[in-house]
Amino acid sequence: MKDRLKEFVNENREDFDMFEPRPELWQEICTELKVQKALEEKPRKEAKVISINFGERLNFTADFMFMRVAATIVLLLACGITLWMVKQNAPTPTNSLAVATETAGQPSVYQVAPELAEVEVYYTSQINSKREELSEYDLKVLGLDETRQIDNELARLDSSYTRLKNQLQTTPNTDQVMAAMIQNLQIRIEVLNHQLEVLKKIEAIKEQDTTEPKNNETTTI
Amino acid sequence: MEKGTFQDVNAKVVQRCREGDNRAQYELYKLYSKAMFNVSMRITNDYAESEDVLQEAFISAFKNLHSYKAEASFGSWLKRIVINASVNAVRKRRSELVPLEDRIAGDIPDEEYDDDAEWQVEQVRRAIQRLPDGYRVVLSLYLLEGLDHAEIGDVLGISESTSKSQYSRARKKLLEIMKDTHSMA
Repeated sequence: MKDRLKEFVNENREDFDMFEPRPELWQEICTELKVQKALEEKPRKEAKVISINFGERLNFTADFMFMRVAATIVLLLACGITLWMVKQNAPTPTNSLAVATETAGQPSVYQVAPELAEVEVYYTSQINSKREELSEYDLKVLGLDETRQIDNELARLDSSYTRLKNQLQTTPNTDQVMAAMIQNLQIRIEVLNHQLEVLKKIEAIKEQDTTEPKNNETTTI
Repeated sequence: MEKGTFQDVNAKVVQRCREGDNRAQYELYKLYSKAMFNVSMRITNDYAESEDVLQEAFISAFKNLHSYKAEASFGSWLKRIVINASVNAVRKRRSELVPLEDRIAGDIPDEEYDDDAEWQVEQVRRAIQRLPDGYRVVLSLYLLEGLDHAEIGDVLGISESTSKSQYSRARKKLLEIMKDTHSMA
């Protein structure tokens, strides 16, 4: 059976295509293709495998997830060790002065007596330099073991200083307390100065003792 | 001979597309977008839907280019993708493309409406657009896309004989529509 309609359509096939898509459609297809490409590449990256061959016996494969975990562990270990080292090196609180340690803890004290900060800085630097000077002497060699006594004395002064500092916040008579605090600091310097003088004297005597016999020896020969 | 050389030209462009060459992709798009858009327009009868189908079809074609084995021309391979996507789009908005009562292949009297007709492309095209979905799809696939009834059966999931009877009904309806519009004019 002949289909005249079919024949007609075949003859005019081209003319039936009269619609056209919007010209922007290609751009939309392009962006969609890029998005899909990006989505395809993402999982491929994650699945990337590093494989290291040690001969034929040992085959060590590690993917990125493993590497990430390993890196995290290394980082945590490093942090832990650093913290531990810092703690080990940190000066024990008994060695430091209450003057210095209190500064961070109670800022309100400096609101009551603003000049205190300056005073503290001055005296603590003095005390510290004296202490350094003292530490240069080898006390045991010089036959002195009373250093502990001095340390105790200094610690007592330090604790009374802390007490005074606390009082400063509550008492209305700030001038008196301040005076007491400065006196406290001055006493410490005096104690240290006295100790230094004693040590210097002892050293001088010892030097004389060691040089004199030497001179004797040379004269006898 | 002419067909052979044409396929060769396409093969080169297709190969460049496989390598992700955007310009080659555009070449194929320029070559086929209009024809494919009209294929989709005839099936879906909806401009926006046809654009969606065209976009979807080209993206899926570029993505699955590795499965194109050059047994058929690239055009007919792409056309099959467009037809399937278009049919799916129509299915989405209407669950049944071919109504159940039409699925039984019955005898349709071969009344010839077309003996006296002086057809015009525009008239036929408009008449096709006025056909109900089920008729329009079968008629378009057979008349314009050049699929035989077995292929139409495959695409729509119906038997070959159903496709045949459906086409006969669609054709009859089309000629009626054309006669009506002609007499009205």
